[in-house]
Amino acid sequence: MSWRRFFRRSSSDGELVQEIDLYLAEETDDNVAQGMGAEEARRRAYLKFGNPARVREETWKMNSVAPFEGLLRNVRYAWRVLRRNPGYALLAIVTLGLGIGGNTAIFTVINGVLLRPLPYAHAGRIVHLDQIAAKLGPDPMGLSVQEVRDFREQNHVFSEVAEYHSMTFTLLGSKDPERVVTGVVSGNYFDVLGVKPLLGRLLIPADDSLTAPPVLVLSYAYWMKEFGGDQHILGRTFEMNDRVHTVVGVLPPLPEYPDANDVYMPTTSCPFRSAPTMIANREGRMLTGYARLKPGVTLAQANVDLAAVSQRLAVEYPKSYPASAGFAPQTAAVEQELTHAARPTFLILLGASGLVLLLACANLTNIALSRQFQRSREMAIRMATGASRGSLFCQLLTESMMIALAGGIVGMGIAAIGSKLLTDYVAHMTTLATGIRLDGSVLLFGLGVSLLAGLLFGVLPGYVASRVHLTSLGDGERTAGSAGGTRIRSLLVTAQVTISFVLLICAGLMVRSLYNLLSVDPGFKSANVLSMQISLNWTKYQKSEASRSFFRQTLDRVQTIPGVQSAALSMAVPLNSDMGPMTAGVVMEGQPLHPNEPAPQINFELASPDYFRVLGIPLLAGRSFLSSDEVQAPMVVIVNDRMARHYWPNDNPLRHRVAVGGGDKKTWATVVGVVSDVHQYGLDKEPADTMYFPVDQAGLTSGHLLLRTRGNPMQMAAQAAAIIHQIDPQQPVTEVRTLDQIRSAQLGTPRVTSMLLTAFALVALFITLVGVSGTLALSVARRSKEIGIRMALGATKQNILKDVLTRGMTPVLMGLGLGSLVAAFATRALVKLLFEIKPDDPVTFIAIAIVFLVVALVGCVIPARRAARVDPMIALRTE
Amino acid sequence: MTRKNDNNEMLKGTLDMMVLRTLITGDAHGHTIAKVIERTSEDVLEVEQGSLYPALHRLEDRGWVSSYWGASENNRKAKFYRLTAAGKRKLTSETSRWRQMTRAIALVMGEATGSGGQE
Repeated sequence: MSWRRFFRRSSSDGELVQEIDLYLAEETDDNVAQGMGAEEARRRAYLKFGNPARVREETWKMNSVAPFEGLLRNVRYAWRVLRRNPGYALLAIVTLGLGIGGNTAIFTVINGVLLRPLPYAHAGRIVHLDQIAAKLGPDPMGLSVQEVRDFREQNHVFSEVAEYHSMTFTLLGSKDPERVVTGVVSGNYFDVLGVKPLLGRLLIPADDSLTAPPVLVLSYAYWMKEFGGDQHILGRTFEMNDRVHTVVGVLPPLPEYPDANDVYMPTTSCPFRSAPTMIANREGRMLTGYARLKPGVTLAQANVDLAAVSQRLAVEYPKSYPASAGFAPQTAAVEQELTHAARPTFLILLGASGLVLLLACANLTNIALSRQFQRSREMAIRMATGASRGSLFCQLLTESMMIALAGGIVGMGIAAIGSKLLTDYVAHMTTLATGIRLDGSVLLFGLGVSLLAGLLFGVLPGYVASRVHLTSLGDGERTAGSAGGTRIRSLLVTAQVTISFVLLICAGLMVRSLYNLLSVDPGFKSANVLSMQISLNWTKYQKSEASRSFFRQTLDRVQTIPGVQSAALSMAVPLNSDMGPMTAGVVMEGQPLHPNEPAPQINFELASPDYFRVLGIPLLAGRSFLSSDEVQAPMVVIVNDRMARHYWPNDNPLRHRVAVGGGDKKTWATVVGVVSDVHQYGLDKEPADTMYFPVDQAGLTSGHLLLRTRGNPMQMAAQAAAIIHQIDPQQPVTEVRTLDQIRSAQLGTPRVTSMLLTAFALVALFITLVGVSGTLALSVARRSKEIGIRMALGATKQNILKDVLTRGMTPVLMGLGLGSLVAAFATRALVKLLFEIKPDDPVTFIAIAIVFLVVALVGCVIPARRAARVDPMIALRTE
Repeated sequence: MTRKNDNNEMLKGTLDMMVLRTLITGDAHGHTIAKVIERTSEDVLEVEQGSLYPALHRLEDRGWVSSYWGASENNRKAKFYRLTAAGKRKLTSETSRWRQMTRAIALVMGEATGSGGQE
């Protein structure tokens, strides 16, 4: 029974034949020698030997590996069957390929983003540490230098606490002056993350001392992009913030977390962080913390410990932690932070694609079942000639497995393309998108899904086939199919309708949510506006007069570009999701402060005179900024409509005064205008109370140049950049985009999510329609004799039509009922992704139910009309 | 079913043993082996060809006999079987097992069976 024997079965069979021949010849000779006639001698020899074929069979079997043999035979047989039905095979393979491909593509993303371990040692123990002031707003406040120190020294739960902030600095010494995103970190930061250098060394605690020479660590991406992965980069020097920094190491590829930093420097190199006033200021909260939990400590235990530290600080420094602000530490697992945006979306998409595959399997089961009923005669014959139920079942399962594996191969191709397309989309949600690729686990998943699909749609037909009775060899087969078969198929259709209805509801909700987002009036006109970021090198523009003059020159000269209608400067661009709002506590003149409440927190923006004109933000009252609102002139402020109604509900806000800053350092500004509200920080976020200050009076070091143009704004970009370089050749210009681009980037994620869900839902609807219509058509074909008899007995076409439609629509109606119930629960998973629509929105439910009914009805009418056209004479004669 | 199988197994065992025993006197092809067994058993045992060839195949598979092609007494092409060293060891152990078995059976059946054992 060795494999060697298995493969040379034929030749050893040939030898056996020779041996048998020899035996017969010798025996015949012996018999002749005993005096028999030649004929008789041969007859006796054969008689004595018995059946040579049996001997050969027995030996052949001895050389076989039984299960493998059976499998080979089944595969060969299945191949023949599928070759004879190429249409069915193709349909099944393509359907499954789409289903498996969709699932595998989504899984590729999940595998790359959610399942792949982070490139940090013991990533589960890394915690992001910050603090919030719940009564001032939902955004984290940040930590001051002293707070990081206090948390580091007073906690009992972390093995280490590192500090972190990110800034943009100008780096000189490369090809061109460059703005580099710089992570400013304490020396233990990379220990906390558990990262080892690719080249050289990373930052160490010794780098944190004020006397240490300035050093830089490059990110992998920046090293590759700027220096082509130069192995000799170590020791190279660059000038930043007027100091010479030496490259000491290169990081391995890491997710762009917490920010897409190009380089890292120690805290002492950052001119802002290392300023004595900043270090002394407990309220200078520009940092955030990263910490590593001690082994065995949970995040919940850590929170309890940190809360105790926080309370101690509040008692010790009551002025820095007013009770009215509600200061509290805030922690989040880094693993969670990296994936929370993508997780719900992709789990939902995986669910949707899984359901589509399930639907595809249901349809294939249906088709395979009806093929099975047609083949029941064949099955009965095979059973009559000795096939066991088990071997019939195995053979049919082999058939479906072969289809499923072929579908799996098609699916892997689809997944390879699909996951490439998805990568950009995922990049909007998580910086881990670079980890998305086809690997072993993806292949394994694809194979697993294929086998599962094969099982799903092979088991039922296989079972039905193995239940065939020998009686179907008789006449029975020609009359209508068994009631049992019809019932199974109706149940399948009901399940299909249920699933696809749920998917359609989800897609419908997402589409309506997207529509709601699209129809949000952002409050400004985004067409034909170009935005470019100009952040000044602070060492060069330390005096505010210098930056003012730079910006004034820039504004004056870009307005002369032909095609530019107006130009403005601002601190931020609306809907640019890079930045959160800047807020400040504000005092309104004449409005008493509540002693136990913090001053109202109001967003503030800086804008130049033409800002509202460039963005098309309507001025509701008063005036816009003027060029006369300069440093020496009285401070002015423009408020938005919302703030005006909020604080001066029954009054004209103009000429009221507001003050920013606390205590005696208040500066008062007069309200000179009211503008309408703008969705500054997201279409899905309500506009907040906002104040605008003139750039000249507030001082701008980093901002955006906005140009309203005639025609395509991007065509003006080069000229505008050229003008800026004429004024200051070392000034980088970054983030050149149109406002339309910024706005549609905001919608990118919901748009793709709803597109994918809709695509899955439409595929589901189509598959279901094929199922509903196909099942009904089959039942009509089977019942044509019955229909013929009924017509002969006087049933009208309307009777028949109605009867068939009822039969077709019953499972649909049942599925819709069941689907509404399931959807009422299932759609709750979508809550986080929906904008201004409830997950149980009745309009969506009803509208989609109606669409579904109409589509299903159309699908049923086709077979129903065929039924009504049955000619009773022909139907009866064919019997 | 099982009972018949058991029976078969035992017969197979005895046939294998007798085939090996036959080959001790020299290499032989299938027909000779059958003849020798029949003749030495004074024609009591008639070797069923249906089991002889599968048995030879099995013995070869287990390495107790080897085979080669040669010419028979009547100058026909024939497959000769030869006892291997492993086959000889197998024969020794089978023979002693057989002796124990027949002795045991003889004891159970009483003296009546008489000359059952070959002391």
